[in-house]
Amino acid sequence: MTAPTPTPEEMQERAEIDRSARYPVMFLFTSAATWLLVASALGLLSTLKLRFPSLWEACPFMGYGRLYPMFLNALVYGWAIQAGIGVMLWVMARLTRSRIQHPRLIVVSGSIWNGGVALAVLSVWLGAGRSLPLMDFPGWFWPILALSYSLMVVWVFPMAGKKREQGFYVSELFLIGAAVWFPWVYLSANLFINKYAAPVMGAGVDAWYVSNLIYFWMAPVGIAVAYFIVPKISARPIYSYPLAQFSFWAMAVLAGWTGFSRFMGGPFPAWIPSISGTATILILIAILATVSNLLRTLKGCTKLWEYSPSLRFTVLGMLMLAIYGSLNAIGSTFAFGKNLQFSHFVAGMDVLALLGFFSMTMFGAFYFIVPRITGTEWVSAKGIRVHFWLSTYAISALVVFALLSGFAQGEDLKEWDRAFSVSYVNSTPYTLGRCLAWVAIVYANFIFFRQLTQMFCGRGRKSAGPTLLHVEPGSVASARAIEGVQ
Amino acid sequence: MTSNPLRKLLVGLGICFGLPWLFLVVLPYLSASKVGTFAYAEGDHPEDGQKVYPDPVSQRYGSSDYGRQVYAAEGCAYCHTQVIRPTYAGPDMWIPGWAGREGGKENFARETQPEDYVTEPVALLGYQRIGPDLSNVGHRITDREEMHRHLREPRSLELEGGMPSYRHLYRRSLTGEGVEPTSRADALVDYLLSLKKDQPLPAAYLSRN
Repeated sequence: MTAPTPTPEEMQERAEIDRSARYPVMFLFTSAATWLLVASALGLLSTLKLRFPSLWEACPFMGYGRLYPMFLNALVYGWAIQAGIGVMLWVMARLTRSRIQHPRLIVVSGSIWNGGVALAVLSVWLGAGRSLPLMDFPGWFWPILALSYSLMVVWVFPMAGKKREQGFYVSELFLIGAAVWFPWVYLSANLFINKYAAPVMGAGVDAWYVSNLIYFWMAPVGIAVAYFIVPKISARPIYSYPLAQFSFWAMAVLAGWTGFSRFMGGPFPAWIPSISGTATILILIAILATVSNLLRTLKGCTKLWEYSPSLRFTVLGMLMLAIYGSLNAIGSTFAFGKNLQFSHFVAGMDVLALLGFFSMTMFGAFYFIVPRITGTEWVSAKGIRVHFWLSTYAISALVVFALLSGFAQGEDLKEWDRAFSVSYVNSTPYTLGRCLAWVAIVYANFIFFRQLTQMFCGRGRKSAGPTLLHVEPGSVASARAIEGVQ
Repeated sequence: MTSNPLRKLLVGLGICFGLPWLFLVVLPYLSASKVGTFAYAEGDHPEDGQKVYPDPVSQRYGSSDYGRQVYAAEGCAYCHTQVIRPTYAGPDMWIPGWAGREGGKENFARETQPEDYVTEPVALLGYQRIGPDLSNVGHRITDREEMHRHLREPRSLELEGGMPSYRHLYRRSLTGEGVEPTSRADALVDYLLSLKKDQPLPAAYLSRN
């Protein structure tokens, strides 16, 4: 699958695909980035409230119990899923060489999705939340979201069903998987929790839903992006196609079993959390196989990493996925889970998956896709660099703080004669550190948002060469080589 | 080859996800939805009348159903859990007051069971433990006034805790002096006082299989 230099006809075809993607994909991207900014601000506010509980006390709308679910939901439904759908449509269109069908319908359903998420987040804010992570919305919201999601994603299938001479690309496998699995997970979780009362299993299915959202939707979409961008930019074939296929099917077999280990020792039949813990550990094989396959593909061209923003973000996202998978596996063992379960570690892991892994990978995709569909280049290489380094440091710091305070919390609780408040007091320095990290994340995402909206409004840089890091804008020839031939 | 590759792929994806969906979610969910109250006869004298576990009186009183909604809406479950794990999975059983009533000859401490949650639509097992577990808070705080104080000015009781004040659930009283709880605060207190998940498990329950 080495990409030989494309012929003019092929270039023409790609340009047409990109044009068909322009309105729907840019609409999804821009609204997603707006939600990212909102979610980052909410993340900062909720962490501040966690550290300084006496802030805004008289105001009913500023409690941690409302801000944190708002943050989580805005980040997942506003940013992550919308960005993921946009990327999914564009990558699928490029791989199957078909134009995106029904762009207007996609924009309309995207608007409905945005309106639904806004209403839902607002309803949590006004006090209609349900205290179920990522299923906080009142019960009547899910049909709106399910319908608008389907109307956007269903167009993946005609593309995938096109007559083809060879098998599926790896990225296609992952994208088709994500497109099939998510509605299934979403519908069954919502139907069960909203329609059939089974109190304890309801809580368990919620945990299962969160885990499946990460391993059955975000991971496949993120990995698909990486398998698309890494060979494109390095102009090399994937190191091992069989290994990629293996990791896909390993993930497919295992991901559905994860989730219940969030309630290890909870009031479930003992085999349920156990099998979830086992699956969480085994899925590490799929993740590590994927990441090492990608790194092998890049072996020997580390220079590219310095220049290409897309590659940088994507590879870092994949490394974060490996870290997430490993920490999650560690947390699913009794030895560590004992201490880490129900601690700050839980929130840290959610941030690592959503911001560390998924968002970084999506940023990589955005930096690659947006110039192609708008026909302009990113305005400032410095902006991209700041976005990259601030995000990297801040997210890492946030996760390390959450992990350490999780351990500390676990140790404090084990001393049974210690007052409970000790565990809170001991966690406060870490929480303060997390507040600082959030400030950096808000700033980084603001820079990203500003650059994206500039391009959305047609005020991108008009240039023949892509915006690269550490390269003078003039050196177009080398730039083409590095950023992959279109 | 007659079948197209996409169809084959979709069947594969369906099987991969269908198995955990069926065996981990659907079947356990259906059997869990049958979990209800457990009726049993005390001792050797069934004629004394049937007893029920969990005891419906302590599980649901006042406006505790509405209080549960307030609990969920304020996001209490993001900082408080309601699950007592067995000792192999955590220290919950050893922390004073968490697992049940203390003192006396009888030890009421035990892990939470599925039946303990039957009065709620979805169990609020929780997310983090910024605050203590609330499975048995109804035993730790028995006085209504004290519970109200915990919600209104929590840090006057526990100097360094992380609990914010829920002052907005209270209003200035009509007489002009002091504050009085709104119906939301009263319901929330009803719910919190009803949280007692340490009823001794009947022998018949333990040997039901």
